[in-house]
Amino acid sequence: MAKSEAESFWTEHLLRRAGFGYNPAELEYYKHRGYERTLSELLEPDKVDNSKLDSAVEMQQFDFTRLDDLKRWWIYRMAYTQRPLEEKMALFWHGHFATSNRKVNNPYSMYMQNLIFRKSGMGNFHDLLLSVSKDPAMIVWLDNQQNRKGKPNENYAREVMELFSLGIGNYTEADIKEGARAFTGWQTKPDGFFFNAKDHDSGDKNFLSERGNFNGDDIIAILSRKPATANFLATKMCKFFVADNPSEDIVSDTAKAYKPNGNNIRNMLETIFTHPQFLSKESYHAKIKSPTELVIGTIKGLQITKLDSDLPNQMSRMGQSLFEPPTVKGWDGGQAWVSTDLMMERFNFATRVTQEKFDSIKGYITPSALVANQGLKTTNDAVNYLLNLLVDNDVPESTRDELTKYASKDNSGKTFDLVSDNIDDKLIDSKLRGLVHIIMTLPTYQLA
Amino acid sequence: MQITRRKFLKGGVCLAVGASPLFSMAARAAELQPRKAGESKILVVVQLAGGNDGLNTVVPYGFGQYYQQRPNLAIKQKDVLALNDKIGLHPSMTGLNQLFKDGHLALALGVGYPNPNRSHFRSIEIWQTAEPEKISNTGWIGRYLDNTWQKNDTLSRRLFPAINVDPMLPKSLASDRVLVPSVADVNQFKFNTDAHYQLDRQNQIETFNRIYSAFDLDRPSAQLLKDVGLDAMQASDYLLSVVKNYKSTVNYPDNGFGRSLKFIAQMITAGVDARVYNISLGGFDTHSNQLGAQANLLKQFSDSVAAFQKDLEQHGAEKDVILLAFSEFGRRVAENNGRGTDHGTAEPVFIIGAPVKGGIYGEYPSLSNLDQGDLKYGLDFRSIYATLIEGWLGGDSNKILNGNFERMRFV
Repeated sequence: MAKSEAESFWTEHLLRRAGFGYNPAELEYYKHRGYERTLSELLEPDKVDNSKLDSAVEMQQFDFTRLDDLKRWWIYRMAYTQRPLEEKMALFWHGHFATSNRKVNNPYSMYMQNLIFRKSGMGNFHDLLLSVSKDPAMIVWLDNQQNRKGKPNENYAREVMELFSLGIGNYTEADIKEGARAFTGWQTKPDGFFFNAKDHDSGDKNFLSERGNFNGDDIIAILSRKPATANFLATKMCKFFVADNPSEDIVSDTAKAYKPNGNNIRNMLETIFTHPQFLSKESYHAKIKSPTELVIGTIKGLQITKLDSDLPNQMSRMGQSLFEPPTVKGWDGGQAWVSTDLMMERFNFATRVTQEKFDSIKGYITPSALVANQGLKTTNDAVNYLLNLLVDNDVPESTRDELTKYASKDNSGKTFDLVSDNIDDKLIDSKLRGLVHIIMTLPTYQLA
Repeated sequence: MQITRRKFLKGGVCLAVGASPLFSMAARAAELQPRKAGESKILVVVQLAGGNDGLNTVVPYGFGQYYQQRPNLAIKQKDVLALNDKIGLHPSMTGLNQLFKDGHLALALGVGYPNPNRSHFRSIEIWQTAEPEKISNTGWIGRYLDNTWQKNDTLSRRLFPAINVDPMLPKSLASDRVLVPSVADVNQFKFNTDAHYQLDRQNQIETFNRIYSAFDLDRPSAQLLKDVGLDAMQASDYLLSVVKNYKSTVNYPDNGFGRSLKFIAQMITAGVDARVYNISLGGFDTHSNQLGAQANLLKQFSDSVAAFQKDLEQHGAEKDVILLAFSEFGRRVAENNGRGTDHGTAEPVFIIGAPVKGGIYGEYPSLSNLDQGDLKYGLDFRSIYATLIEGWLGGDSNKILNGNFERMRFV
């Protein structure tokens, strides 16, 4: 069934936000499905066969005890999964429950935590929060191993409220002290979570105006019931998926979709992606891509099949080192992704991706193949094709003109048509690479 | 084929009014004049991120309570680098100890603010914005830059009003009208093109500049991306040209913090005209196994700062620079069960440099008269800021700090 251009336009928008963009084949597939059926497929990853990715991952033989391999594993998954929203939510939760290997110092443990985000990241928030609270990497990260009866360590109790559920201002210092007592004895052993009864404080606690012999499970249950948690999560999700300053409208509608039971995370996502504000001019190309989105989107757009093993370092220099968020608060995101030096790193990522070769390896892309079989007749066609593929054609006319001019002139000043004239292959290669490079440096290329 | 995506956007799109003028990059570059020694005053701000344990940094070895509260973590009396008969520096801070003896280290004790917040993020924000009571969108340095911004500022001032050497811009540098660049490594701060097609480089750079200069698109961040992109290109050209000539025989510690301080020294001595540099050293959140971790961090800090001072002296720039080092909070007086310490309150702050009147400022907080197990502050951190603004950088501290804070005498 043919879909309207407008529907395809918003389907592309959805794929940039609920996923990491698209390659031409994926775009064809999703456009054919239409917006609604694309969304339902994204929202129910379990129903999508991902065995091709799983076997491809297996063949890569990643070593999860090595941090660089772990990073490559996740990049590989994000780039080639058939379940983009599942990976996007894993990235969201990684930023939310921001745990860093810099302190945990155990990549395998970080890997295990990451599996939680994939398994429970679109289900019920209470279950997710409970799994994370018992996760060995988290227990090490926020020092709950040291949280013992009579000598509480308040780190986890503080952050679970400030950063994971209620948000600041919705609890007191006394709640932190009492909450910490409830989490005493939640420890980790080499084989996983371990409740150490002898370190647990089993006395009564006063927590958020409730009183009882609370343990960690009770605290998680109380926190998951609070309206402040719904608001805090809704705000964060809308900022992540919609706009840096989402309207109160979409935030409150999203918060309303948070019910204590059932798949409340999925319900919130569905509310967001069907909301008029998400499908509005204010949201279109309104988010600055995170380095992860930039890199994965590039792999897709340019149909790159073999990944540069240095990608984790490049992402780190652009400001996002996976499994090593800068603080307990995760990445600030939004306009904080941009500063002169981070921008320069983005430009140089574009150079690396488009150059003829790097580190004595053949380059990522074959420009002539990229534009082959598209029925292109002129330089202008080639420019338009690439602009459409890479930045949804969202540029001022002056940009289009400058790119055409660039691709129609050699160093001596001689002009030609890149497509229809009979010119040297090397010159064509150089100009096509240059075109992709410059398009990747455009402001619009940084936008999702 | 020229599909314009705008037709799908409800409500239409108004294009930004007035294309920005095309300018010649060469003409702009000519305006960049290097700073000369003695011409301006510079502040280097160091954040010891994570909450540095002040009690084991400036050790109250003359107080009995210190040894009672810290059975496992106390620094032994014989190891302390004594400053007087009551307090002394952590044994790994030999560099700072020498600076103290030379009269170049002012130590402010018991620094904090009312109703201390023990959240990393809120307390960092308070220090960075100088607003303990409300959330502010601008930082204290950002407001200083906004307040002293002048229409006829030189281009180098405009491109580098301050420089952040950290990966992320801290809120202290957030401002309303001035854009502060972040540069962590000058060699990576360079626009690369395909080495295989070197002859095309100039074409690409010119095309880039023309596209960016005329890039008007009605998207929330398009203008920001355009400004930052153009600034990045120009700032890169300039920085690469100025640091080329830097030479030094000083050995900095071979770690990230040492390299970053060296880079700041390079920029200062090469003539970059920024007023403020920002840098941080992380890892001070020592909830467990604190002893070795903190000793290592304090050594990195102290050795790097000592090398930095020496480097400035070698280049005759030491009279132009003051370094301020603080943490978002100190830590609790009593150690915890994991040979670590939890989030606390008041802390010592370092003010370092040849222009500084060395010595000890303020009182060591009482170790027995505590507030919920934490030290009570005696000195508001905004007094330090006010002193630096009025006595060093030049500016109206009342306006910048939204209040009148007592001036100190370290400058």
